[in-house]
Amino acid sequence: MHFAMPPRKTSRPPPYAARNSRPYIPLWLKNRIRRPGQPRVVVVGCLVLIVLIWLLRGSGPDNGVGLATPVIGTGAPIVIVTVLDQKKSPGWIEAIKKNREDYARRHGYKTFFPNNTDYPLRGAPSSWAKIPALRHAMTLHPTASFFWSLDPTALIMNSNIALHTSLLTPQHLERVMIVNEPIVPPDSVIKTFGNLKGDRIDVVVTQDKDGLTQSSFLVKNGEWAKYFLDAWFDPIYRSYNFQKAEAHALEHLVQWHGTILAKLALVPQNLLNSYASGPAHLKHGQYKEGDIVANFPGCDKEKRNCADEMEPFLAILRGEKN
Amino acid sequence: MSRSPSPRPGGWSSPGLNTPYDTGGRTSPMRGYANGGSNVTWASAQAKSAEVKGYNAFSPRNQGFFGRHFRNLSTSLPFSYAEKEKLGRGRSQGNAFAQLLNRVGWNLWRLRKLIGTLLAIILWIILFYATPLHRIWRRSSALGVGGNKFVLILAANQGGGVMEWKGPREWAIERDSVKNKKKYTQNWGYDLEIVDMSTKKRYAHEWRESWEKVDTIRNAMRKYPHAEWFWWLDTNTFIMEPSYSLQKHIFNQLNDVTYRDIRHYNPLNISHPPTDDYLDPETRSPVGDGKANSINLIVPQDCGGFNLGSFFIRRSVWTDRLLDIWWDPVGYEQKHMEWEHKEQDALEYMYTNQPWIRPHVAFIHQRKVNSFPPGACGEKGDDPNIHYKEKDRDFLVNMAGCEWGRDCWAEMYTYRQLSNRLNRNPWEKFKDWISDSVKHMREKKKPDKKDPKKKKSG
Repeated sequence: MHFAMPPRKTSRPPPYAARNSRPYIPLWLKNRIRRPGQPRVVVVGCLVLIVLIWLLRGSGPDNGVGLATPVIGTGAPIVIVTVLDQKKSPGWIEAIKKNREDYARRHGYKTFFPNNTDYPLRGAPSSWAKIPALRHAMTLHPTASFFWSLDPTALIMNSNIALHTSLLTPQHLERVMIVNEPIVPPDSVIKTFGNLKGDRIDVVVTQDKDGLTQSSFLVKNGEWAKYFLDAWFDPIYRSYNFQKAEAHALEHLVQWHGTILAKLALVPQNLLNSYASGPAHLKHGQYKEGDIVANFPGCDKEKRNCADEMEPFLAILRGEKN
Repeated sequence: MSRSPSPRPGGWSSPGLNTPYDTGGRTSPMRGYANGGSNVTWASAQAKSAEVKGYNAFSPRNQGFFGRHFRNLSTSLPFSYAEKEKLGRGRSQGNAFAQLLNRVGWNLWRLRKLIGTLLAIILWIILFYATPLHRIWRRSSALGVGGNKFVLILAANQGGGVMEWKGPREWAIERDSVKNKKKYTQNWGYDLEIVDMSTKKRYAHEWRESWEKVDTIRNAMRKYPHAEWFWWLDTNTFIMEPSYSLQKHIFNQLNDVTYRDIRHYNPLNISHPPTDDYLDPETRSPVGDGKANSINLIVPQDCGGFNLGSFFIRRSVWTDRLLDIWWDPVGYEQKHMEWEHKEQDALEYMYTNQPWIRPHVAFIHQRKVNSFPPGACGEKGDDPNIHYKEKDRDFLVNMAGCEWGRDCWAEMYTYRQLSNRLNRNPWEKFKDWISDSVKHMREKKKPDKKDPKKKKSG
C-alpha cells in the first residue's frame, strides 16, 4: 500500500514513555543476570533443570526382580489338559492322547498330559489332580488364552468345531450362556448372574442332571485363574470329604463366593460335555451326532472299563480317519 | 451519558395516585424511593425530582463528619499542605515525633515492593499453615500429597455388646483412642471411619460370630470410593507420633520399609517360597514380582505370627478376592474352634496354603506401625523387633492383649502422656524446663538441710 503522505504523528503524545511489556524483574536481579561472565542462559538452564527434576521425581521404572511378563493371548488359543492314569491299559491311553492331539493339531491348539501321581494331593482322591495340572499347564504355557480341562473319560467326537471361535468369543458366550439358572438343580437359591458380559468371563462350565460338571470345562488364563484354582485346591476342601470330591468343592465355591460366580458362564451341556451315558442334563445333555464331546462319566471307576465303553465311538473316529 | 429524563422502569413516581396501602406484601417499609412505595417522604420526592431534572436541588455541602471537620483535622496533622507554604518548605516545623512519623511513612512507601512481598509470604503462611486450606492441600491427590487416598478404620467396641457391658474405663479408653485418631487424620487429611464391632445379634446367632472385619473393610471401601489404602486399627492403639504422615513414613518408600520374603522374620516357620513345580515363576519367587505396586496387603508380624491389630489393605481386584475367600463356611466349620484369632488365623492359613496370595502380601516391621508395650510378647519389653522404644520415637503403640490380665486404661494413659511429652512444642519445652529446674533446685536444697540434722543425730 502506498500513502501519499507519511502517517501523521499522533497529536497527543503519551505523557511518559510507555513501559515495555516485559515481565518486571527487580533491578538487583537484572544486574546479576546481566553481569558479564554469568550469562542468562545458565540461570534459565538451572531453572529448567530443577523443574524437570521436580517433574520426573519418583517416576523411575520399577523393575522389581526382573521376571519376564508373558503376554496372555499371544500363544496357543487353547491348551487341552487331560490327566492320565498310567494304571489303565496303554492302548486306551494312547487312543485318548491321539484323540486330543488330532484335534489340537487341526486348530493350532496345544496339549498337556500329566499323570495323576505328579502332584502332592495329601491323600485326597486322585481326581483332584486336575486342578494342579491346570496350574501346571498355565506355568508351561503362560501365553495361551484358554485351558481346557478334559477328563480321560471323554472323547472329542467332532473335530470340525473350533472352540475358540465358536464358543469362546464374547459374542458367542453372551448368546449361549444360561442366566438365572440354579447352580445346583433343581432349585438352589444361588443362580447364575443375569447380567454378565462375555468379555468378563473367566471360566466356562456345564451342568448335568446333578449339578456342575468338572469333567470338561474351560478356564481363561490370568490372575483370576490362579485364585480360582488355588482356592479350589485348598487342603480344607480336599480333606473335607465332599461326597463327590472336587465336583462338590466347585459347587461350594461357586455358591459361596461372589467373585467366582461373577466370572462363571454356564453353557448348555452339549456345547462342551455331552454325555454318551450317565446322568445327562434333561434338555441338552445327551450326546447326539455332531456334538463336540462324548463323555462316559465314571467309566474309569472300578467295575467299569472305559476302553470297552468307548469302543464304538473310537471305531467311528478310526473310520473317519480312513 | 443520557441526560434525558426517562422514567425508571415502573413509571413515574406519583405519590398522590398510589394507594397508601399498596406495599406489595411487604411488612417492613421499603428503603429508598421505589415507585409505588407508600412512604413517600419529602426527601424522597425531592430526590426523585432531582433525578428527573438532571441536577441536584440545593444541598449544603460538607454534611458528614469529615465534610464538616476535615479542615480542622487536616490542619492539625503534621504534614499539612497549608503549612508547606511557610518557611519550612516541606520540612515540617513540627515536633521531632511528627518528623519521625513522616520519615517512616515515606520509607514505607519507598519500600512498598519489599513490604508487599513480605506481606504476601505472611498471607501464604496463614493460608496454608494455619487454616483449612492447608488441609485441602494435604487431602488432594491432584494438587497436594494425596491424603484422601487413605482411610483409617478404627474398630471400636471390640468384644462389647451382647457379651459384655462397657464400664467407665472402657469408655475412657475408647474416648482417648478415638480422639487421638481424629486429630491425626484431620491433621493429615485422611478419612476416619469408626466402626462398631460389638457382637451384634445378627452375627451372634449365626455361624460367623465376630468375623465382621471383612464386612467392615468392604463397607469402608464402598463408602470412600476414592481411597486406595485402608488402615485397620484396633481400639487399644495409640498414635505416638502424630507428626508422621503415612506417605512419608511408609508409602513413599514401600519397597524399602516392607519385606516380601517371610524368611526375613518368620515366627510361624512358614516354608517360603512355595516349591511345587506346577506353580508359575511369580508365585515361586520369594518376593513376588518385587514391584511396589503389586503389594496389596501390608501386615506386621509379632512374636506369634501375623498381627491384624494394625494393617493396611489396598483397593484392588486381588483384595476383592481375598475378602471374598477369607471367610468360608467349610473352613469355619472345620477350624473355628482351633482359630481363636479368627481372621488372623484364617489369613495365616490361606497364606500358607493358597499360593495365589503370597505375591501380593508384604510384611512390615512390627515397630513401624504396631509396637507392643511390655507385657505383650515378653514381660520385659526389650525385644528390639517388637517393643516400643521411646528413643526411636516409634509411630504407634498397640496395647495388644491388655484386656487379659493387664490394665488397658493405665497403659493408654501412660502412653498418651508420653506422647504429649515427646511432642511438646519449643515453648512448652521451655516452660517445662523452667519448672523442672526449679523443682530440681528445691529438691537439692532439701537434702542439704536434712544432712546436717542427720549428722547431728548420727
